[in-house]
Amino acid sequence: MAQQPLPSSVQPTDVYGGDEVSAIVLDPGYINTRAGFAGEEMPKQVLPSFYGHITSSNRDVFGDQAMYPRADFEIRNYMNRDSVVEDWDAATKIWEHALVNRLGIPRPTPPSKNGLNNKPKPAAEGEDVEMADEADLDETENYEKPMAENPLLMTEAAWNSPKQREKAIEICMENWACPAFWLSKTPVLAAFAAGKATALVLDVGGSNTSVTAIFDGMVLKRSVQRSPVGGVWLSSQIRSLFEASEPKVEVVPTFMVENKKPVEAGQPADARLKTFDFQISPSFRAYEEERVLKEFKESVVEVWRGPGRYLAPGNEDYAKNLPGRVFEMPDGSNQMWREQRFKVAEGMWDDNAAFPSATEEGKITKAQTVPGLIKAALDSIDVDVRPALLANVVVTGSTSLLPGFTDRLNHELTAMFPSVKVKLHAAGLSSERRFGAWIGGSILGSLGTFHQMWISRKEYEENGPGIVEKRCK
Amino acid sequence: MTSRDVHDVLNLPSDHSGAPRPSKKQKTSAPRPNLKGLAREVQNLGGDNPIAIVPEVNFFKKRRFATRKPVAKWELKAFTNSARGDDGALVLRHWKRRTDDGAPPVESAQDGDGQQQRGGGEGTPASGKREEKPEDSAFAKYNVKVVVPHYTEDQYHSNLQNNDWTKEETDYLLELAKDFDLRWTLIWDRYDFTPKPPGSGGDAANGEDTSTAVVPAPKQRSMEDLKARYYEVAAKMMAVQKPAQYMTRPEFELYEMMQNFDPEQERKRKQFALNTLSRSKDEAREEESLLLEVKRILARTERFNEERRELYNRLDYPATDSDINSFKTSAGLQNLLQTLMSTDKNKKRKNIMPGEGVSPSNNSGVPNSAVSETNPANRRESIAASATSNNHHHHARRDSDARTPATPADPTPTSAAAAAASAANKKKGGGTQQQPERRKLTQQEEQVYGVSYHDRLGSGPTFRYEKINKLYSHKSGQQQLRITNALSELDLPPRLVMPTAAVTAQFEVLWGAVTALVDLRKMSDRLDGEIKIEEAKKAERDRAKGIAAEKEGEKEKGEGGGGGGDGAAAGDGEKAGEKTGEGGQTKEDGEKKRPGSSGSLSAAGHKRSASVLSAASDKSSKRQKK
Repeated sequence: MAQQPLPSSVQPTDVYGGDEVSAIVLDPGYINTRAGFAGEEMPKQVLPSFYGHITSSNRDVFGDQAMYPRADFEIRNYMNRDSVVEDWDAATKIWEHALVNRLGIPRPTPPSKNGLNNKPKPAAEGEDVEMADEADLDETENYEKPMAENPLLMTEAAWNSPKQREKAIEICMENWACPAFWLSKTPVLAAFAAGKATALVLDVGGSNTSVTAIFDGMVLKRSVQRSPVGGVWLSSQIRSLFEASEPKVEVVPTFMVENKKPVEAGQPADARLKTFDFQISPSFRAYEEERVLKEFKESVVEVWRGPGRYLAPGNEDYAKNLPGRVFEMPDGSNQMWREQRFKVAEGMWDDNAAFPSATEEGKITKAQTVPGLIKAALDSIDVDVRPALLANVVVTGSTSLLPGFTDRLNHELTAMFPSVKVKLHAAGLSSERRFGAWIGGSILGSLGTFHQMWISRKEYEENGPGIVEKRCK
Repeated sequence: MTSRDVHDVLNLPSDHSGAPRPSKKQKTSAPRPNLKGLAREVQNLGGDNPIAIVPEVNFFKKRRFATRKPVAKWELKAFTNSARGDDGALVLRHWKRRTDDGAPPVESAQDGDGQQQRGGGEGTPASGKREEKPEDSAFAKYNVKVVVPHYTEDQYHSNLQNNDWTKEETDYLLELAKDFDLRWTLIWDRYDFTPKPPGSGGDAANGEDTSTAVVPAPKQRSMEDLKARYYEVAAKMMAVQKPAQYMTRPEFELYEMMQNFDPEQERKRKQFALNTLSRSKDEAREEESLLLEVKRILARTERFNEERRELYNRLDYPATDSDINSFKTSAGLQNLLQTLMSTDKNKKRKNIMPGEGVSPSNNSGVPNSAVSETNPANRRESIAASATSNNHHHHARRDSDARTPATPADPTPTSAAAAAASAANKKKGGGTQQQPERRKLTQQEEQVYGVSYHDRLGSGPTFRYEKINKLYSHKSGQQQLRITNALSELDLPPRLVMPTAAVTAQFEVLWGAVTALVDLRKMSDRLDGEIKIEEAKKAERDRAKGIAAEKEGEKEKGEGGGGGGDGAAAGDGEKAGEKTGEGGQTKEDGEKKRPGSSGSLSAAGHKRSASVLSAASDKSSKRQKK
């Protein structure tokens, strides 16, 4: 149960309009799936959206601790690169794993078994009792299902299709018997987390970067812009950088290394690699390599802060003189990274600066860069709201945690809209940036005024899954 | 170790050494001698820095047994939200402080739990005293909805037809407006009307089934289009429900506002906003600086105006045209003062205060004589004042007060005088003691009693015909002659036989008209003469050049005659024939003596004009007589 931080003499509703009904917030993303109780400040459970599939026994395993090298082990993701659920079976399982097994939502005991109805009853009410018993029998079925007591608030990408949304409510109602359900779009919730009802949300996530205008707590559909320029794309840029650097940098994931010795910078690694008596699937290796690259992103990559682009004359020379950062690969080879660490992230801002990508989807156009997205989003909406949006730019998503990201964004925006006041709102706490949408959902789900919005079970039963389209606009 | 020691070790300059330290030392050393035995030894261990000795406290807080209350009890209570509009089908539970009605909370919570989805708490047989329904959410009251106009089919057909909009689309628009609480940005964003989609129109089809197979492509609606249509519908429905004349003020204002919505203007405004947004940095900066400049200029002009007004106030004194040189010397001023004082004494004015200094009455001898005849307004005022009452004397005095500092003989009515006059009039109307006694006569009464008001009255009796004679005296002899000629043509004697007031007045009017006519005639004659002279000059020039043939000369003469004819035509049509004859005459001798001809012409013109004039004035005066 959510905590009650206020003194008991004060009713919470008097203070912040909260009314906690132990709702659950589920925020699935390409990299992570977040789950927790509404009203809390952080998601209790953050588990990778990647899951392991053991081909031999046709079994799925979830969670970080299950991801170790095994035989016949593949890594899959139930989401696709568009941040839309692809594999609904796996999604159901992984969500249930997160909510029931990990979050520990208690399964309610049916009233017939909880011992509270065992009192002697007056004889006059005998008929009523029988009816109640019958009702109980119906109920029992629901009590076998998890989460029969907890309303569920789920998030979705702004471009989610109606089919997907209907599927989501179906799972919630049919599989878990939730009493109520709500589907909210991530940028809206990110704006709520920043305390804004009207905002321009820049969400630089794992697989996508999206720009969405939020007006009065609703997505402006015309403004939704997205591009693959996110964490995964940045990883591919880092791979390109490694390919291009001299000598080539090999990415050896941690699980391969049995033992390593320290070497001088720029020297080849001196490490003994593990050998496995089974085949390591490419997907698992890629997943593990991604973890190394993630660490590289977190510790080395930096965004050129501006003013001006990185490619502008003089800037690169200046960057070369800045102190570099050393990164040691899991196999012990290490190297100092200087201007490259700026160059890698520059593709997000300037399509000319991006490393040439091997794959087609890795190439980006000018419109797919962050400034391009923002411009396109603003151009597609009414001119009257543009200044209000620019005064409330909410930056969220973990890739926006790259050092210098907000500085650069500020420079780009003020250069693009010189006559408008631009104000960025980027949470200082990294977890608030990472879980922006979840936190917004947590706020929304614990608001007293929100409880009239829920799609109740009854409504679902009367209208079918189509109701989600009608209600969650 | 103290901070100073640290500084020493690190070779840092001790920034604020000296003064504070010795005092601190003294402070710490002061209690030391009081310690005895072990305590002192322990104290000494600390050296310079005494060891902080915290007294051991083995209880945290005094327990307040007296005010202790039992632990607050909370219960998981079911509640519904009436704003949902589903009759409490959704029962959620939250923790609430238990109220004091003493019922066991757990049971009710479990009951609510049991009936969670199937709605209603009827299955609570065990505890009969509990109320059946879970309580309503405290937040239900915040649910507000906008009012969107409704119309029936008939109303739509009679009032809301529009070529551009089908009923389906209008329905769709209103539904969106309701859904999004009139937030136009959202309405426009989500507006996606596809006319009669066969499959996907679940929400757009409002029970209307028009079997139109041919559907136009969905129109691209701008936000202004949507607003214009909505306001049109809303205003019309408002008027249908309540005619405009019965609306309350705010209602009518809303109605008018909606009626006057101009999408075109809105569009222009947006275009302007767009341009403003897309300004470059330099432009923005320039505009900012310009705005600042404007503000500064405005502030400056305001100050400047203030200063100028002040200056004008200082400079504002009654101007004078007459010679004030005699008063410029101190002796002259003294002289003036003496004169004024003496006249005051002569008049024996009692209400004059010595402090008021130079304040002569206007009807006193000196100023009155100084006031020339060209200042009727001023004199009128003073006479009226002296004629009415003492009070008015006062006003008149003040009136002249305003002028006297410059000159007592102020020939022009200044603004101050006018103001004083109006003030006096006001006072008159305002009712002093004497005022109510005089009855205000109506116009009829005035006529009956023969009451008349005069600008001025000379001293002693005068004859009315003298007044008439006076009119003549201003004119020159020739003019007088002409006027008498004109009058005699009208069969009017130069001296009126029976100069009653009415006749004199009428005569004055007539006389004025005659004078004006004479003046005009004079003017026109002069112009005629000048024209002739110029023409003659021109002819002379042409001849001198030798270019002009004889024919041309004749032509010129013809023109000359024509010119004469024109002048005559201006006078009267009757005399045209005679005049042309004259013109012909002049033409004959015009060849020989050119310069002279113009003189004769003008003379002829004169003669003629006099007769013409007399004829004209004859008519007019006859008309007047009637």
